[in-house]
This record gives sequence, C-alpha cells and structure tokens, in this order.
Amino acid sequence: MASASETMTAAAPQGAGMRERAWYPYLLIAPSMITLVVVSLAPFIYAIYLSFHEAKFGRVRDFVGFDNYMTLLTDERFWNSIGVATTFVFIAVPIEFMLGLIGALVLNQNVRGRSILIPLLFMPTMMAPIVVGLLWKIMLAGSWGFFSYNVLERFNILGETSIFASPDLALYALIFVDIWQWTPFMMLAFFAGLQALPLGPYRAAAVDGANPVQMFFHITLPMMTPLLAVIGLLRFIDAFKVFDTIYILTNGGPGITTETPSILANKMTFEFWNIGEASALAVLVWIAFFAFCSIFYQVAKKRLNAF
Amino acid sequence: MAEAASRPEGSRGLFWTTLVIVYAAIMLFPIFWMASMMVKPNDAMFARPTQWLFVPTLDHFSYVIEQGFHWSLLTSFLLCTVSTALVVIIGTPAAYAFARFEMKGKDDLFLFILGSRMAPPVCLVIPFYLIYAKVGLLDSFLGLTLAYMTFNLSFYVWVLRSFCRDLPVELEEAAALEGWSKVQIFRRVVFPLLRNGIVATSVLCFIFAWNEFLFAFMLGGKSVTTLPVSIPKLITSQGVRWGEMAVVGMTALIPVLAVVFVLQRHIVRGLTLGAVKG
Repeated sequence: MASASETMTAAAPQGAGMRERAWYPYLLIAPSMITLVVVSLAPFIYAIYLSFHEAKFGRVRDFVGFDNYMTLLTDERFWNSIGVATTFVFIAVPIEFMLGLIGALVLNQNVRGRSILIPLLFMPTMMAPIVVGLLWKIMLAGSWGFFSYNVLERFNILGETSIFASPDLALYALIFVDIWQWTPFMMLAFFAGLQALPLGPYRAAAVDGANPVQMFFHITLPMMTPLLAVIGLLRFIDAFKVFDTIYILTNGGPGITTETPSILANKMTFEFWNIGEASALAVLVWIAFFAFCSIFYQVAKKRLNAF
Repeated sequence: MAEAASRPEGSRGLFWTTLVIVYAAIMLFPIFWMASMMVKPNDAMFARPTQWLFVPTLDHFSYVIEQGFHWSLLTSFLLCTVSTALVVIIGTPAAYAFARFEMKGKDDLFLFILGSRMAPPVCLVIPFYLIYAKVGLLDSFLGLTLAYMTFNLSFYVWVLRSFCRDLPVELEEAAALEGWSKVQIFRRVVFPLLRNGIVATSVLCFIFAWNEFLFAFMLGGKSVTTLPVSIPKLITSQGVRWGEMAVVGMTALIPVLAVVFVLQRHIVRGLTLGAVKG
C-alpha cells in the first residue's frame, strides 16, 4: 500500500507541493459532486427522458421518439417565445451595458461617500426579482400608479390602462424594468474593473498631452475589453432566463406578446400539463445555455485570466 | 493632468458626488414609494392626482399578521439558513480541492458546476416537480432545501474556489514540512485565511435562497410558504392588497439592505462568479 501510494505521488503533479495522495482531492469534492449529480444532472436526464415520452397531467405514457420536439419546432408559439426573448435581450442588455459603462466612468471620478452610495446603487440588483416586479407593478399600475399617472399619462403615452396591458408596449415596459434592475450590476462590475486598471499608462499619456477622451479610447477601452466581454456575456446569458419579474408583471400577456421560453415552459407544465412538450422545450433551452456557458467559461478563462 | 491637479479638486468632486446622489435618489424612488405604501390608507393609495400627505395607518400590518405572514418569514429564514449551512459544509472542501489540486477531467467538472449554476430554473422545476410528486417531497422543507442546492452549491464552490486561489500556497507547504496532517493544515492554516471568503460567499447564497421564487412557488406553496411566494398570494379575488404587498416586499428587502452594506466589494465578485475581483 505504501509503495503504491508513493508511485502515485511521483506521477501526480505537485499541486501544493505537499505529499499528495491521489485520492485526497477526489475525497474532498465527492460530497459536492454527488449532491450536484442528484440535484442537477439527474433532473436533466429525467427531463430528456420525459421529452421523448407522451406525458400529460403528470402521467408518463408511451415513448414517442422526437414527436414532442417536432410539435414544438412547428409550433408558432415556440418561435414567438424565442422572438420575444431575443428582442428582450438584444434591447435590454446593450442599453444596460452602455448605461453601466457611463455610470462606472462617472463613479470613477472623485465621488465621495462611495461606501454608502455603492451599496445603495446595488439594491435593485440584489433585491428579490419578485419584489422588483412588485415595485413596478405599483409604479406602473393602471391609471393610478405613480409613474403611469405622473409620467405616462401626462405625456399622453398611455391613457387609462396599465402599460402591461398594452400589446405594443408591454414588452418595452418589461425591458425598462430589466434595465432598472440590472444596470447597477453592469455599472459596479465595470467600476471594479476600472479601479483595478494600472495608473502607469495614464501618467505616460498625460505626459504626452493626451486628453481624457483620447485616454478613454486608447487606454481604458482596450484594457477593459476582456472584462466588458465577459460581463456582457454573463448578463446576456442571465437575461435569457428572466422569469420572476415577467411572471408577476404580465405572465406572458397580453396574449403571447411577452411570452419568453421560460414563461412558455412554465405554462406548458403547470397550466396545460403538457409535460412531454415542456420537457422538450426545457432540454432545448438547457442545451443552448450550456453552449453559452462554455463560451463564457472559455472567454473568461483565456481573456480575463479568471477561474 | 498637471493642469487638472492644480484646479480645485473639491468642486469637481462635489459635482460628480451630487450627480451620483441624484441618480441614486431617482433610481431608488420606487423603493421609497413602496415603503410609504406600508402605512398608506387604501383611499390615498388610489388617489389621482398623487396624494403626498396622508394619515398613516397600521391596517396593512395587522392584516398581514392575521394572515400568518410571520410564519412565512420564519420559514424563509430557516430554509435559507439550513440550506446555506449545508452548502458551506459540503462545498468548502470541494472549493479548496478545485483550487489546489490537479484532477482528471477538472475542466469538465467545472463546466458541469457552471452549467448547474446557469441552468434556467424553469427547466429544472419540471423534472423536480415530477420526481418530488413521486417520492413525496412536494411542499416539504427537505425538498426545497435540496432544490436550492442546485444553484447555491454550484455557486458556492465556483466562487469560493476563486477566494482559495488567492491564498498563498507557501503557508500550507510550510505546515506540511512541519509534519502537520491535511486536516490540521485545513483547520489551522486554510480555514482562518479563508474565513472572509466563506462568509461573503455564503451570505450571497443566503440572499439567493431568500430571493428565490420559482422553486418555492412550484415545489412548495401550502405548508412551506416562503416570503416571496406570499407576495402573489395577496392578489386575491377581492382585489389586490397593495399595502399588504408593500409590507411583505419591504420585509423581504431588510436582509438585502444589510447585506449590500456589509459585503460591498464582494458582491461584484460573487455576481460575476469570481471573474471580477471587486
């Protein structure tokens, strides 16, 4: 036994320079990995299984091959949900990105009292999404919501009804809420990046007589690019799965104008009880997410030297 | 820059500070508005034009307590504490191992952990619901604790690993040369240095669990009702109980408010999954 472990030690890379036993790290990760297999991998595999079966009202019936996938992919409602999510993400995230960057640059000036301001600014991102939904349900409710009455109605954007009941505007209202919720995250992540930049290049540029705009485009932006990419990607992935706020604000309505894949999957499961098709949708979304995740991982690892 | 330095710094600082304060005040206005609704009588709430002054009332508080909302508060608190504690116990050694040792297929394991963290909860809730219905875990404390592991354990291991990597290896090596056992090294060298990271990461886990809605709503709901789940329940057939929702919503905000002040820099690190060191 002793000689066996010695030969293994010789072969194993010297992680911390300690005398390794090859099984030791595996022992440390075992509880976590077993738990994650149970609570993450097993549900995923079960969802794949369900997606190949006719499953309605909680009963799993016959194996149907790719039928659920075919039904889903020929369903206009599915494509509508993809369109809604795409619109949502591609409008919300770039705006959050730009506002976040501007905010970070402002915060990077000699702002006093950051230790109080930064936590306060973080509130929208850190609070429960369901409470975010509630806040804006209150602000934008019917004709009496503070924002509906004092802004929308006064500027004749909307009359008596809630903006969330308007087929044309509901999605944009949700985008607005998402921007309110997530701009602080972008802003403070970018700010952390700005704070970590070395001062040397700026001093050199100042000696050469560069103005602040030149400094931003020639020093700040190039140095920040990897971070901007990683944060943008992370937010992009997260924005696709938004559920809570949409659920409490519109639940996909009016009609299906704000129905994202998450909302659709939830309705398929808990309203139509069409679990086979819902699982097919879940599996497709899951695979897409996994692809995005591996891109995020690669980019963060290579460009940002993180992880 | 020399020019800029000679200018009075104070006035420029004041300008930017005021700008940020005004921005923060506008952004946080909805929260103040909701806070005022806690004590606002119903007729003032619906008033058009907006009624700024009103006689405060405690009706909403008493209704909320009548409805047993403090039990939701207790459930939320217990659930988040227990699930976070479990995550810390199970996850800490894993985070350490991932940071320190070479393992076969480490990259794949990583991607699996990241995937667990990033998976849309709505995709998980379907299989969870069916499995729980079969094994009788629906609407149970244990069921929700387990479900929360999916996103919190993966998050914890992932982020704490980045804290572990910041620790100097030399101390552990020195301790190993002294002949300390691995358990001793972990307890007496690694753990004290890692304490801040553990606190920051686990507090974030607590908040994620505290804020979680979908699992709590679909897998719990009757005997196990968390705070976020009790909010939509106030949209009743007799109308929406706005004041009561405000009370519950503000209660849900209290720990979040405490946490943003205490954690500060660590939040960025947590929310970017360790990609940005705050």
